[in-house]
Amino acid sequence: MTQPTQDILRGTLDLLILQALSRGEMHGYAVARWIEAATGDALAVGEGTLYPALHRLEERGWVKARWGASENNRRAKYYSLTRKGRAQLRVEAENWRRYAAAVFAALDAPAAK
Amino acid sequence: MARWERFRRLFGPDPRSDVDEELSFHLEMRIRELVERGETPERARELALRRFGDFEGSRAECVAIDERRRRRMLRAEHVAELRQDIRYALRMLRRAPGFATVAVATLALGIGANSAIFSVVNGVLVKSLPFRDAERLYEVRMLYPDGTEYSGLSAPDFMSVREESRTFEQVEAYTGGVVTLLGVGEPKQVLGIRVSDGFFDLLGLRTALGRGFLPEENEPGRNRVVVLDYGFWQREFGGDAGVIGRTLSLGGEPYTVVGVLERGARPPEQGDVYAPLEYDETFSAATAQGRRSEYLGVLGRAGQGVDAARVRADLERLGSLLQERFPDTNGRLTFTAAPLRDVIVGDVRKPLFVLLGAVGFVLLVSCANVANLLLARASTRQAELAVRAGLGAGRGRLVRQLLVESAILGLLGGAVGLLLAYWGTRALVAAQPADIPRLNEVGIDGTVVLFTAGIALLTGLAFGVVPALQATGTRLMSALRRGGPGAGDGGGQRMRSGLVVAEMALAVVLLTGAGLLIRSFVELTRVDTGFQPERAAAFRVTFQGAAYESGDLVRNRVDELLERIGALPGVTSVGATTALPLTGLGTIWNFAVEGAPPPPPNVNAEIAVARVTPGYFRTIGAPLVRGRDFTAADRSDAAPVALINEAAARRWFPGEDPIGRRVTVGPDVREIVGVVGDVLQRSPGEAAVPQLFIPYAQRTTSSVRIVVRTAGDPLALAPAIRAEVRALDPDVPVTDFTPLEQLVSASLARPRFYTALLSLFAGAALALAATGIFGVMSYSVAQRRREIGIRIALGARAPDVLRMVVARAMALAAVGLALGISAALALGRVLRSQLFGVGLLDPLTLGAVVLVLGASAAAASYLPARRAAALDPARTLREG
Repeated sequence: MTQPTQDILRGTLDLLILQALSRGEMHGYAVARWIEAATGDALAVGEGTLYPALHRLEERGWVKARWGASENNRRAKYYSLTRKGRAQLRVEAENWRRYAAAVFAALDAPAAK
Repeated sequence: MARWERFRRLFGPDPRSDVDEELSFHLEMRIRELVERGETPERARELALRRFGDFEGSRAECVAIDERRRRRMLRAEHVAELRQDIRYALRMLRRAPGFATVAVATLALGIGANSAIFSVVNGVLVKSLPFRDAERLYEVRMLYPDGTEYSGLSAPDFMSVREESRTFEQVEAYTGGVVTLLGVGEPKQVLGIRVSDGFFDLLGLRTALGRGFLPEENEPGRNRVVVLDYGFWQREFGGDAGVIGRTLSLGGEPYTVVGVLERGARPPEQGDVYAPLEYDETFSAATAQGRRSEYLGVLGRAGQGVDAARVRADLERLGSLLQERFPDTNGRLTFTAAPLRDVIVGDVRKPLFVLLGAVGFVLLVSCANVANLLLARASTRQAELAVRAGLGAGRGRLVRQLLVESAILGLLGGAVGLLLAYWGTRALVAAQPADIPRLNEVGIDGTVVLFTAGIALLTGLAFGVVPALQATGTRLMSALRRGGPGAGDGGGQRMRSGLVVAEMALAVVLLTGAGLLIRSFVELTRVDTGFQPERAAAFRVTFQGAAYESGDLVRNRVDELLERIGALPGVTSVGATTALPLTGLGTIWNFAVEGAPPPPPNVNAEIAVARVTPGYFRTIGAPLVRGRDFTAADRSDAAPVALINEAAARRWFPGEDPIGRRVTVGPDVREIVGVVGDVLQRSPGEAAVPQLFIPYAQRTTSSVRIVVRTAGDPLALAPAIRAEVRALDPDVPVTDFTPLEQLVSASLARPRFYTALLSLFAGAALALAATGIFGVMSYSVAQRRREIGIRIALGARAPDVLRMVVARAMALAAVGLALGISAALALGRVLRSQLFGVGLLDPLTLGAVVLVLGASAAAASYLPARRAAALDPARTLREG
């Protein structure tokens, strides 16, 4: 359960969820599918961590939830971004870009002599 | 509200099942997808679970998060509801300003009195003393064979305790005295305290300016340095920092100022100036010399975790050791210790707690009164409450609403009460009641505010809960149906009467207590003090410095001064003493009657000694019972003589004639030449103890009290007397000019203070109880209009109706009296130690209480009764 990919994910899972929900309301399974498709299946093992993350985001007020009917007509919990969540997504995405740029720059730098 | 409801529905009854549903939806979807891709259902399930990972862990985490969130929302919901209740309550109170004002005022009185007395208790008893490790500080005392304690040690005994105690970490000593300060304005007397090397350190007192004392400054000849008290420095030097290094003349010797204590740094005995004790050859644990010259206050700090019993046991061990080593001086003596806190606040603890109990009673009476108001109001509010109940508010919600109302009343009362307490304590501290210690530390602080808020809330609930339950009881619906207030209200009336009875019982307890204290106080003022305080005054003069090196020089000056003052017009008599009446025992010396067997082991061989001049007893108006007074011939070169008081004659010469007997007093053998009447030494409540007088001329002291008896007002002669002293020596200050009557009133200050306060509280309780009777009778008359109307229509005359209503009030009062007096007798024990010359079952007091309460009840019910008697039967019947 402690694969390196997952540890990296833990910090970025929130960002991925917010990004998924920025496209519209969806249930947890749909979020999982989106992450699967968008990241080349980063959550291949440990998909379950998605749910505590969703509930935590809900607790913080970044996403809100409601019960609705799914495509196959089952009761499902649908999540969507709140105004606060949208703002948070902007902040976190920006941070990530800056961070990633810094790491890339470091990787591309000539080796020290 | 609607927003919260939505969340509540979202969560359902159990967040657990919601989480299960959400997670199983996920798994099902994944399985379906895998099956669609061609996996077998079993295989698909296995793969889905593996992808999911730690199912139980995720589930538990989700449930925990949701639970947390739900609790937070419920709390928010409660807060929102409470806010609504508060808004509603405030609106209701605004709509009934009369009721609100009376209730808040009543509560403010009760709570304010409690806060005020609590702030005194807090400042005096609860707050720790302003010393380092104060709870481990003890005062070391001499323990005499008869069990009495004396809080003074000799220098060698101090050194023995310091060096050989096993329970004290540190032992320090001090001694205080009056010295003459020259060179700062007029010559004046200041309080000088001499301290041992670690004294400031023991108490944790620091200097604001300059330094404390150095260890070597206790060596003889090096101790001419002085540290100033902060207040003294402010007063006399205007807070000038340049005072360091200045030289002051104290008692005729030059002292260099080396430091100023911090503001608020006050040792148990506060001085104006502090100087090092001079460690002469008696400051030695090895010497026998000076062991019976006790003049040092000794304080010790016990080690961590050492209790008082161990300290005392250790001191007793040390005492027996010294008895063996120094049998001549320490023969029958040993040591003990008292916690410094007890020494400082000791005998005020009980009276203060009695006062706290008394104000607690006042608060209970206010509570009962407000509960009564609420009950009466509840019956007029029944329609409103019934409407709210009809609209779906549950009983719990209504009770809470009513409790919020009473809590708000309580808090408002508390806020106003705190204001009253603030003024009250300021007035109390300004009055400087008697010698209550640490009064300067009394004030409204965080603890007092917290206490007030606590009792305000508690009070609100206490007086609110019964009316709230009563008002929301089962009869609500019937009240709505009938649409009128008041009908079928028998239970409420009974409860109101019960509350009034309780109020009166509480008031009776306080009245009885106050009555007993008043009676005791009257008895105290009637006590024969043994002297005539009218038209006499005393003042102190001190002769210090190079001009008064020898006793003869001082004695000559005192003789000269007495002669000059005696010659003043208006002065009928003058004398001097070292111990004024009602100011304490003064010096205690060893004492033995020649030819008498040594006293039994439980008897102290000692006596209180004062030095007086020949005219002293005539001047204070104490009679010579036998023998002769001192004369001008009883000088140092004449035979040593002594006078004793009657208590000493009874004590040491029972059934014998003391005249002509020889006694050992301190270092001398003296012949008793006369017996004088007993003059009270401490207070009117304490009998005179044996006392011995020696001629001032045979043993002079540098400081004496001069007593002047005058034809008119003694204060009018003060300027002339001061002028005589100045003419004699301009460097001799006159201080403490006090009419003797003031000595008497000062000795009664403490009982007067307690009596006044308790009377005040009893009066407040009585007024509240009377208000209660008034309210209940008015209400009951209003309720019974119809019945009274019928009675009048049937021929009852106005006096009959009047009598009927008043008789009912008197019946309630009688029950209250009976309960109150029983309670007062049961509680009387706590007062016993403050009573003087009056028993708990004092018929005069009890009679007065019955009379006062009965009269109040009659007066309070008279107005409602008159209203009842004036009813117009035709109208009341038509209305009904």
